[in-house]
Amino acid sequence: MRIVVCVKQVPGTHDASIDPETKRIIREGIKVVINPFDTYAIEAAVQIKEQIGGEVIALSMGPSRAVTVLREGITVGADRGILLSDRAFGGSDTWATSYALARAIQKIGDVDLVICGKQAIDGDTAQVGPGIAAHLHWPQATYVMEVGEIDGASVTTKRMHEDGWDLCSLRLPAVLTVVKDINQPRVPTLKGRLAAEEQQIPIWKAEDIGADPELIGLHGSPTRVVKTNPPAGRGKKSVVLDGTVQQNVRALVHEMRQRSLI
Amino acid sequence: MNQHHLTSAYHVEILPPKQETEKLYEDLDRFAQKYKRVMESGYCACITDNAMGNLAFQGTEMIEELHLPALENQVMIHLNTFHTKDDLHRILDACRNSGIRQLLVITGDGSDRLPRLTPSDVGADGVEAVTSVELLRYIDRAYPGDFDLGVAFNPYEPEDHEFAKLDRKIAAGASFAITQPVIERHPVVDRLLAEYPDFPVVVEAWMSKKLSLLSEAVGYEIPQDAAYDPIENLKTLHRNYPRCEVYLSILGFKTQYDLLQHVRN
Repeated sequence: MRIVVCVKQVPGTHDASIDPETKRIIREGIKVVINPFDTYAIEAAVQIKEQIGGEVIALSMGPSRAVTVLREGITVGADRGILLSDRAFGGSDTWATSYALARAIQKIGDVDLVICGKQAIDGDTAQVGPGIAAHLHWPQATYVMEVGEIDGASVTTKRMHEDGWDLCSLRLPAVLTVVKDINQPRVPTLKGRLAAEEQQIPIWKAEDIGADPELIGLHGSPTRVVKTNPPAGRGKKSVVLDGTVQQNVRALVHEMRQRSLI
Repeated sequence: MNQHHLTSAYHVEILPPKQETEKLYEDLDRFAQKYKRVMESGYCACITDNAMGNLAFQGTEMIEELHLPALENQVMIHLNTFHTKDDLHRILDACRNSGIRQLLVITGDGSDRLPRLTPSDVGADGVEAVTSVELLRYIDRAYPGDFDLGVAFNPYEPEDHEFAKLDRKIAAGASFAITQPVIERHPVVDRLLAEYPDFPVVVEAWMSKKLSLLSEAVGYEIPQDAAYDPIENLKTLHRNYPRCEVYLSILGFKTQYDLLQHVRN
């Protein structure tokens, strides 16, 4: 089974600022991290590989420094990474980005499954996974909280929604986007990190994936962001305990233990 | 109470490189140099476990991957509750196979990216969350006689609460304690030594000049107005607590390490 996991480098800060001209996040000079939801996608892919065999490929689009998120993926079990990086991709919205990723997936070839985090924490659109499925004309399941039976022909998933979950069976190839409930990502090891450092990460440009210049970058992006504001800071949350004294003390001690305060 | 006698003059804390480092090889080399220096000095290298919730590489894998020697009684591995059961056993097995006996068992700070042991993982179904007490009890039962289990003692916590907690830790298998950093002398540490005369206590010395960091570490405001000289404080600790060994946190290897051999004289 060949599985591609799409990962994104996102600002690792609550102080991201917005360029007033372009309405985009200013990414220069700020700490960047792997999109947290993508770590669950990688873990899901690695668990499938460990179960039935195959190969996991981490795929990202971004500036050259985004190789670090690919190395993170390799550290925790991906076999290799590929970075799409080209000025021509600059300004791509979710539709153009998913087009470029879909082209790369076609170039990789023989891909059975694409797994993405449910959304990136910078844009919060949750559109790229479904966009990839749309460009590839593959079935998709979003908000996947559990992967069940899987073989070379189909995969069964539990798809989370407000009222519970749906059991979905998809024929492969398919695209999944996953939520945090799906697993607990493994903690990277030094051995894995050293192996990842040794790997060469190929960088593909727009022409390498045969991308139509009219469908990538600003040209290929139908979205126009009219206004963007940084999020309001998260204030402190008060919780009122309104049970019996015994219940309240128990709840308080539990909460403090969960936060390692006692 | 388990009997244990510490043997190293100084317990030197070393932080492994953070997972997010972009200078991996440089950081690994720096760690290895510090570690080897501690071994050569006959001190004990104490390797932290995701200190302050910052993801870092594990002490045991650092020793294995960098082929560092784990000399008898000269390595202490910190171990907190933020692991999967499999990882916990991997660490404990690695310690046992390397001949590392000393573990400092703490609850830990955790992070969103770290898993946490569940009560059922450590056979503690009656509790809602695993703390150092449950982890101690589990290690003591699962690895009988393999380790000397240390615990943290925080003199800045409400006193009776901290002593009650210490009693629970001792009942669970603790054989020595390391205090939070002490500036010159602390009455609660004095009480600890008086009431537990046979229990080995290591006093922690804060080796940074920045006391504000110490306030953050212990979670209580420590007066910042007095000038603080870590080396003088270390000398004072030796005078005030002559039967205690000393744990050195945030030691400056470039500026302070060579002074250590003269401090006790």
